[in-house]
Amino acid sequence: MAATTDTEHQEHAGEDGPPDPGAGRRGRGPRRIVAQTVSVFGELLITAGLVMGLFVVYSLWWTNVVADRAADKQAEKVRDNWAQDRVGGGGPGALDTKAGIGFLHVPAMSEGDILVEKGTSMKVLNDGVAGYYTDPVKATLPTSDKEGNFSLAAHRDGHGAKFHNIDKIDKGDPIVFETKDTWYVYKAYAVLPETSKFNVDVLDGIPEESGKKKAGHYITLTTCTPVYTSRYRYVVWGELVRTEKVDGERTPPEELR
Amino acid sequence: MYGWIWRHLPGNAWVKALLSLMLAMIVVYVLFQYVFPWAEPLLPFNDVTVDNQ
Repeated sequence: MAATTDTEHQEHAGEDGPPDPGAGRRGRGPRRIVAQTVSVFGELLITAGLVMGLFVVYSLWWTNVVADRAADKQAEKVRDNWAQDRVGGGGPGALDTKAGIGFLHVPAMSEGDILVEKGTSMKVLNDGVAGYYTDPVKATLPTSDKEGNFSLAAHRDGHGAKFHNIDKIDKGDPIVFETKDTWYVYKAYAVLPETSKFNVDVLDGIPEESGKKKAGHYITLTTCTPVYTSRYRYVVWGELVRTEKVDGERTPPEELR
Repeated sequence: MYGWIWRHLPGNAWVKALLSLMLAMIVVYVLFQYVFPWAEPLLPFNDVTVDNQ
């Protein structure tokens, strides 16, 4: 480090003064070359450190900015569609689920709602939404009224970090899914704080690891854990308690008030 | 390296400083817009799903 600084001083000294063709800075033999090499190497190290620091800024801040913007835009589109359907009485193309199928409300985890879209690819999740699984185990949508597991994934950090506080969900906490005309009120009943990323059984229609043996209407939230890494997966299971029709004012169910 | 760039920028110290700032901003833009989005999936920080891959 000292060598680098010294070199820089010399360079600047040579630069600020008038041009001096006689004492060419490159004309001082091998010592000069070594000093220059060390200097460049040091600067490369500093640059690498700066780039890594910028990557952290990018991951933990910038991706959130971008994702929240995208999620807000899509959520607005979904709300607009719903509102239009209500007025227009639902003509052709009334059910536009491409932008999202509904909103997840988990008061224990986060204020506000999380848009839910189809698929769990990075492309979908990076927009700051939760995705329902289509692979390896297909999620059963609550709107289908069939028994099964409504399995979801979202980012823990960056890209909206929608499931960042998943560890704040305790047994008994409500998990509410809002669609155009129904509130599905689930209750968390089991938490798996750490499991392998290969453990796809947690997505099963009857998630036996949560202690259930019979078919029912389940919801599963998955994300990565511990925070800032992806070593394991964190899983929360919930079971449908009741459903509630959405009224004209979209009054939320009592769990959200 | 940075000394070399500084020496090859035109103008007086103020112009050089301004140009350096612009260069730095271009580099940050390229990193945020192209390099980091490309590198991110290759790094094991943000896989949230369970799957068999």
